[in-house]
Amino acid sequence: MKYQAKIWATCHLMIASWLFTGAWAQNPAPGITQKGATTLVGGTIHVGDGTVIEKGAITFENGKITYIGNATGAKKGEQIDVSGKQIYPGIISLNTSVGLKEVASVRATLDYYEVGDLNPHIRALVAYNTDSEIIPTLRSNGILLSQAVPEGGIISGSSALFYSDGWNWEDAVLRKDDGVWLSWPSYASTAIHTQDQSELTKRNERRQGVVDLLKQTFSEAKAYAELKAPMPVNLRLEAMKPVLKGESNLYIRADLAKDIIEAVKFAQSYGIKRIVIAGGNQSYKITEFLRENDVAVIVNPTHRLPGHPDEPVYLPYALPGKLHQAGVKVAITYAGEWWRTRNLAFLAGTAAGFSDMSSEEALQLITKNAAEIAGVSQRVGTLGVGKDASLLVSTGDLLDMRGNGIEMAFIRGAKVNLDDKQKRLYEKYQEKYKAK
Amino acid sequence: MFKHLSKLVFCFLLMQYSYGQQTFPRNGAYDERAGRYAFTNATIIVNPQQTIQNGTLLIEGGVIKAIGPKVAIPQGTVVVDLQGKFLYPSLIDLDSDYGLPAVQMPARSRGRQTPQLESNKKGAFGWNQAIQPEIDASLQFVPSQQQAESLRKLGFGTALIHAHDGIVRGSGALVTLADLPATKVLLQEKASAHFSFSKGSSTQTYPSSVMGATALLRQTYYDAQWYEKSQRDEGDNLSLKAFNQIKKLPSFFETTDKYSLLRADKLGDEFGIQYIIKGSGDEYQRLEEIKNTGATLLLPVDFPSAYDLTDPWDSEMVSLAQLKHWELAPKNLAYVAEAGIPFALTMQGLKQKSDFWKNLRLAIDQGLSKSVALEALTVQPAKLIGAEKSLGTLEKGKIASFLVTSSDLFESGTIIYENWIQGQRYILTPTDLADIRGTYNLVIDNQPSGKLKIGGKAEQPNYSITTLDSSKITPKVQLKNELLTLSFKHGKDQSVRLTGWKDAKGFVGEGLTADGKTITWSAPLVSAFEAEAPKDTTKPATTPTGAIWYPLAGYGNLEVPQAQDVLIQNTTVWTNEKEGILEETDVLVRGGKIAKVGKGLQVASGVKVINGKGKHLTSGIIDEHSHIALFSVNEGGQSSSAEVRMSDVVNPDDVNIYRQLSGGVTASQLLHGSANAIGGQSAMIKLKWGGGLKDLLLPQVKSIKFALGENVKQSNWGDVQRYRFPQTRMGVEQVYFDHFIRAKEYAQQWDAYNKLSKKDGVVAPRRDLELDALAEILADERAITCHSYVQSEINMLMHVADSLNFRVNTFTHILEGYKLADKMADRKIGGSTFADWWAYKMEVKEAIPYNAALMYHEGVTVAINSDDAEMARRLNQEAAKTVLYGGVPQEEAWKMVTLNPAKLLHLDDRMGSVKVGKDADLVLWNDHPLSIYARPDFTMIEGAFYFDRKLDEAKQAEMDTERARITQKMMADKDQGKATQKPQMVKPKMWHCEDLDEAAE
Repeated sequence: MKYQAKIWATCHLMIASWLFTGAWAQNPAPGITQKGATTLVGGTIHVGDGTVIEKGAITFENGKITYIGNATGAKKGEQIDVSGKQIYPGIISLNTSVGLKEVASVRATLDYYEVGDLNPHIRALVAYNTDSEIIPTLRSNGILLSQAVPEGGIISGSSALFYSDGWNWEDAVLRKDDGVWLSWPSYASTAIHTQDQSELTKRNERRQGVVDLLKQTFSEAKAYAELKAPMPVNLRLEAMKPVLKGESNLYIRADLAKDIIEAVKFAQSYGIKRIVIAGGNQSYKITEFLRENDVAVIVNPTHRLPGHPDEPVYLPYALPGKLHQAGVKVAITYAGEWWRTRNLAFLAGTAAGFSDMSSEEALQLITKNAAEIAGVSQRVGTLGVGKDASLLVSTGDLLDMRGNGIEMAFIRGAKVNLDDKQKRLYEKYQEKYKAK
Repeated sequence: MFKHLSKLVFCFLLMQYSYGQQTFPRNGAYDERAGRYAFTNATIIVNPQQTIQNGTLLIEGGVIKAIGPKVAIPQGTVVVDLQGKFLYPSLIDLDSDYGLPAVQMPARSRGRQTPQLESNKKGAFGWNQAIQPEIDASLQFVPSQQQAESLRKLGFGTALIHAHDGIVRGSGALVTLADLPATKVLLQEKASAHFSFSKGSSTQTYPSSVMGATALLRQTYYDAQWYEKSQRDEGDNLSLKAFNQIKKLPSFFETTDKYSLLRADKLGDEFGIQYIIKGSGDEYQRLEEIKNTGATLLLPVDFPSAYDLTDPWDSEMVSLAQLKHWELAPKNLAYVAEAGIPFALTMQGLKQKSDFWKNLRLAIDQGLSKSVALEALTVQPAKLIGAEKSLGTLEKGKIASFLVTSSDLFESGTIIYENWIQGQRYILTPTDLADIRGTYNLVIDNQPSGKLKIGGKAEQPNYSITTLDSSKITPKVQLKNELLTLSFKHGKDQSVRLTGWKDAKGFVGEGLTADGKTITWSAPLVSAFEAEAPKDTTKPATTPTGAIWYPLAGYGNLEVPQAQDVLIQNTTVWTNEKEGILEETDVLVRGGKIAKVGKGLQVASGVKVINGKGKHLTSGIIDEHSHIALFSVNEGGQSSSAEVRMSDVVNPDDVNIYRQLSGGVTASQLLHGSANAIGGQSAMIKLKWGGGLKDLLLPQVKSIKFALGENVKQSNWGDVQRYRFPQTRMGVEQVYFDHFIRAKEYAQQWDAYNKLSKKDGVVAPRRDLELDALAEILADERAITCHSYVQSEINMLMHVADSLNFRVNTFTHILEGYKLADKMADRKIGGSTFADWWAYKMEVKEAIPYNAALMYHEGVTVAINSDDAEMARRLNQEAAKTVLYGGVPQEEAWKMVTLNPAKLLHLDDRMGSVKVGKDADLVLWNDHPLSIYARPDFTMIEGAFYFDRKLDEAKQAEMDTERARITQKMMADKDQGKATQKPQMVKPKMWHCEDLDEAAE
């Protein structure tokens, strides 16, 4: 009885608060295009390339950064005092399924996995859902750019890079079709035992067949690319052209050292210049090879268990630091994940804590390096004059949960509304308990 | 022990002159014979302890009549002179499927098929298809000469056979391998009872897990006990009836690894049954615990072959655990024998039966004594099956089953000439061949044609011909019944075929040339055979094998860590008590407990001092929701599985224990999954890496997993899973009402029974393990941890509990706890949640990272858990997220992974804070423990260091050395031409809540 009365009270309250927040049932509107100038004054600026400017100022006009440096010099436009706070370039989250996945168990909300083996023509661009409820929760934690990547098959399709704000994909996109994603057949295969569900790892006997298929496809794509007016038109081979011409990346998913070497050699044999390894669990074994061949690595989520029972327990945490210190260009990501990418800064923090890399270096792995890998470093990744004003203000250390508190974020100079569904639910239920 | 077996021997004595089957009609004249043989001048191995030199064995009618140095040989006896030869009792295998139909396993796909809730075995049998005590191997037995021959070749004469299928497999039969009518070779029907944890060919959904199989067997014992007294209620249940008959027989339990061996013994202890346990060959890894079971073991002689590690990339697919087991497996028998654990040997498990002797000799090379080996193949199995009066040794009155060998049975190169079974002679290698070895001049068709050389062993000679032009030919040869047949290419590549016989000079005979011409040939002896100087037979010094690690895997310990007295000085101590965070403070650990907390504590001698300056000392992290270190997680066969115990399936060897220590975790609650509304009983462990089951388990924590939502109603399991009740949240409520009302009635029945002053003639209620657990909840003796997501169902369970007067202890996951935190707080229900998970299914759409903070502010005891082997090792980071989302004070955030889970588990009297008297489960962090940069310097449990960063580095170096050493050994094996296998690795499943086991083991 006692509870029944309470439930009624609660229901009334809930209805009231629902009405109150009703206007906010959708994602907030994108930020308004910047007109004029804004200057953030007094904060510590983390440029993203290792440079730190204490008591700095940063000015941006019409979406572009026009000044960065000492606070004493800058007075242009709207002045925002950010003394004691930290200014960072927006975090870039590569290799995600943001915008393509909403609720994992509901098929209707999933648009990341196409049927077919060889799908370079499949484009993440057009399926990216700017109305995803996930996206606002990402920018709340500083993720201002996400690379949406198709999965499935051997060649999965083409990715694109999106700002975390925009009315539609056309608005939000920073770079269309930035690269084609290839899953290299692994040297090892795993099979799940039907009875105890244990995992058996052994040599992949079907591997050579896939490699042969890829050889044929790349040879034919190369020949096709030589034609000015191919007849018949082949959508798949057409989509390979930018990769073969060096205009976009070939992202190769490979984890074992042997696979990585083979895959890189394979790509090089077709004259492909822009090769990026995604995954790279064993890349620490071949850092010299990667450096010499100028191959960058987008590592798998480092919050993972070692891949082998005998692997050092901290190896996944330490991996980015090992690569970075060996001179390999490395970015940290959440490979294929969507909502979890809001923790990307903490992956970088962990990477710093478990290696000899400083947190300033770890920051580069989610800003500068990511921008360079995706071919957008002239616009984003570091804070510099002429670049997009895509930056954020945090109460403290962005890479640590105790400091990460995003108070402001700007995308192309536009101030982003940092509200999200989860904050609204938080507020709604605070109302409930305050009213008690 | 076995009256009927001594009767059996008596029958044999009667039978001696009537060896045929009296009731069977004959087609032709009677052919009964006395079967009287005397074997003289033999070295007789009577039993492993007693040998008679130049002895005589007299048998008659399949039975030993006399044995000794001097035996009077009656007239009418066939005398066989065994000068220089040996006699052994023939061997016994107790785990055979000889003469039984092959088990047909159904094709099973992974977890996503329509459930079969009832048994497919129709008739007056029990309810579960995997419990078939009514199976009687003797009724299925059909002698097979082909199978018998392959076993006889190896020296076996008797086998205990049973159907290798199911959890209760019925009774076994003792049979001989003689080629006699089935009525003769069947020595004993219903000789034994057989059990396992595998449901075998059963297609019924329950049990779908090992713990389910364990619970089912346990319940079957109780049901059978009850049935014995109250059959009227059940009617005629042929399965329970048969179970009561077979449970008194010698009981054999087949297991698959050392932990299932221990599980089987523990189960037997509950019912006063000492099983004879079939092991798997890894017993050396847990010798002490296995010895303490008191069980006699039945052990295999199959050892893994070396991995082919020629390709360094391939070799990564093999774990150090596999490498070390390869090296140590052949030593297992020696280790077991040395520990004084009695055992018999079986061939079961050998992929190639012919490897039996090779492997056994390898085990002997590795330290197994020959007499123990012989005992394990003769005396011990005879004793285990209660047939020691008729089998196992060569003594008067026993069955005449014995081996004739060339020398010591266990020496390599020994030939088994004959295997006699029940007085029937089986020749494996003829003994009556003359020694024809030597060099002969070969004359074909009066033409000198070269030299014929016969060498090798007298019993198994080899042949070569050197022609006049010095080319060497290996002819095809048959030597049978004094006739020698040779065929080979001779001149112009023509085949010549010769048959000859021995004469005074050598061989003479006739033959055919390629064109069909008849010729004569001869081969006079030129020189007698001279044995080549024996090769250096001293065995290569056995290279030392590595030490046993605990567990036998990477990061294993040479010795299980022991408690030390430790003083941690000048550190920041997070007490979790009213003292809060103390700067520059010392903590003294003594006897596994926290002895002192204070400033400037005195350093006593024998105390290890650690400088904690600049570091943070906390109590160890406790994970309220974990599925590590388990062989199985979900018994999803029914909507309630309250009877299953996760403590039955704890795997202390799971490397995730070590990995979590490296993240500061010291204790974990291992929960059943969320496949059903009422799950199984949880197991609480401390992460004592290297310890055994008893070291890890904390039995005082009595809790059970419940679950709500999409998993319970099988929303995401595909359309074939729309069958099991319940399929809606409406149905879930009724599952609870139904089960708890039954449990209440059950408890009342027992109460009434227990209160009776006179129990004579009153049958106790049927013990029901499922209702036992639920009754414990009603009596507030077992705590509920309920997997839960959305508010409607959480509210529902709270109402069910209110109305039936039980308590929910903890809602786990509880991602919408923030919506009814007030209701939880009113009822003092804790919330154990994720820091920020959402979006993986519909029921977590409204999950928010502020959940913990909102619940905390409403006064709920909040814990942050992992449900994931990876997240568990950085729960400090997850706790820190409650500071980010909702501004929980840092000290309180820290309690969410330490003190609060201890409270929810009712362990806060001994764990969860740095307080004098509590367990010294401590972590020293190099940074603020909620910092993203923090990592443990060490993790201590009860004063023993289970993880230490420096030690971890040393272990890695040691692992590299060990891997390199064993790799070299394996490659040497390959170079010597020994069998190798392709590198591969099996990793056990990493469990989550939602994972379904399809089948038990």
